[in-house]
Amino acid sequence: MRPDASKKLKAADPKGRNKAAAPKRGPNPVVVGAVVAALVVVAVVVAIVIGNSGKSDGGSGNAQPVGVVGGEGGGIGVNAATAKSNAPTVDVYEDFQCPACGDLEELMGAQLTSMAKAGEIKLVMHVLSFLDGNLKNDSSTRSANAAACAADAGKFLKYHGAVFAAQPAQEGVGYTDAQLTAFAGTAGITGAALPTWQKCTDSGQHAKYVTSVQTASEKAAVFNTPTVRLNGQDITKTLQTPEALVAAVKAATK
Amino acid sequence: MGLQVPERVKVPMRLPGGGRRADFVGLLARLVLGVVLLVAGALKVTSPAASAMAVRAFQILPYDLAGYVGYAMPVVEILVGLLLVAGLLTRASAVVGGLLMLAFMVGITSAWMRGLTIDCGCFGGGGTVTAAQTRYGTELLRDAGLAACAAWLVVRSRTAYSLDQRLFG
Repeated sequence: MRPDASKKLKAADPKGRNKAAAPKRGPNPVVVGAVVAALVVVAVVVAIVIGNSGKSDGGSGNAQPVGVVGGEGGGIGVNAATAKSNAPTVDVYEDFQCPACGDLEELMGAQLTSMAKAGEIKLVMHVLSFLDGNLKNDSSTRSANAAACAADAGKFLKYHGAVFAAQPAQEGVGYTDAQLTAFAGTAGITGAALPTWQKCTDSGQHAKYVTSVQTASEKAAVFNTPTVRLNGQDITKTLQTPEALVAAVKAATK
Repeated sequence: MGLQVPERVKVPMRLPGGGRRADFVGLLARLVLGVVLLVAGALKVTSPAASAMAVRAFQILPYDLAGYVGYAMPVVEILVGLLLVAGLLTRASAVVGGLLMLAFMVGITSAWMRGLTIDCGCFGGGGTVTAAQTRYGTELLRDAGLAACAAWLVVRSRTAYSLDQRLFG
């Protein structure tokens, strides 16, 4: 039997908005339009709510770390002052929680560092934090902030190397605060510089900078890590050996 | 109760010529489209930032707008998926589901034609992948199949075991 549907009707449509549909002819165009419009409204509301909450998410500090090049959300120019004037620019985009970035660091880290020291490249490091969203933790942002604090101490590359050297085997495990502090020791942040670094790290002093790097990188069409760009051109896939990097840099040096 | 008889008599009178079979085709279309939307939305809804980035990776919409689309998409997918699975407001839900599929197909085709190498991020993930990892053809076929489900339901929204039928007759 078909029970009286009026109760169910009310339950499904407590506001009685769909009265036009109540006659036994099935949904009519008005209902269809109303539902589509309602879904659009829901979409807009959700987007605005999440969008705004994301914007205030940047942490307390917005101070730029030492060595930022390229304006708002730019990477850290590791050797901007000492690079040869004809050296090509190498932009490296990495997230400290990205396993493939750990692989790249293992394969290319020493080569990149030595070329940067020799001034053969202008090395710019963009530390991203999007994996926090995927992995549902905050280790990318915290470690990126800690690395930016290390940049203030002039130890960015060493800190960066220490983080990747200790990258957990399983993606998503992240880094503890104690680990981040231990990396500072490994990077040679000592004496008076250490409490400054610690305070900067604990307060999330560069958290807004970290967010701005992520935003700027996406605007520059970087949607995956690691990404390596030589004078703006993506060479990530060609970097199978350190020699490939040397050859590419040589070809780009005028 | 003895009142079941009129119910049985009603069906062949109203839908002569295989109408009931079409109801079950509709049920299948509704469940396939609904479950896929529900799963796709559920996989993304807890990481809105990743969803936003997946939309930005298409490089079609401006940065902020792409973010909003990314935030809203999983919620809309879940709502439409729930309505379809329940068979409630089937035609309207199918219109929205079909428009979503068309939009996805436009986006994927556009990315393919511009030579981008991205994952559509349809079920989470997204972003740049290597050229060998792109699956544009498969993604388009899947969305075309889902769009066909939606089209069926828009044209013929009466389906078996639907709340619409229970509530509105």
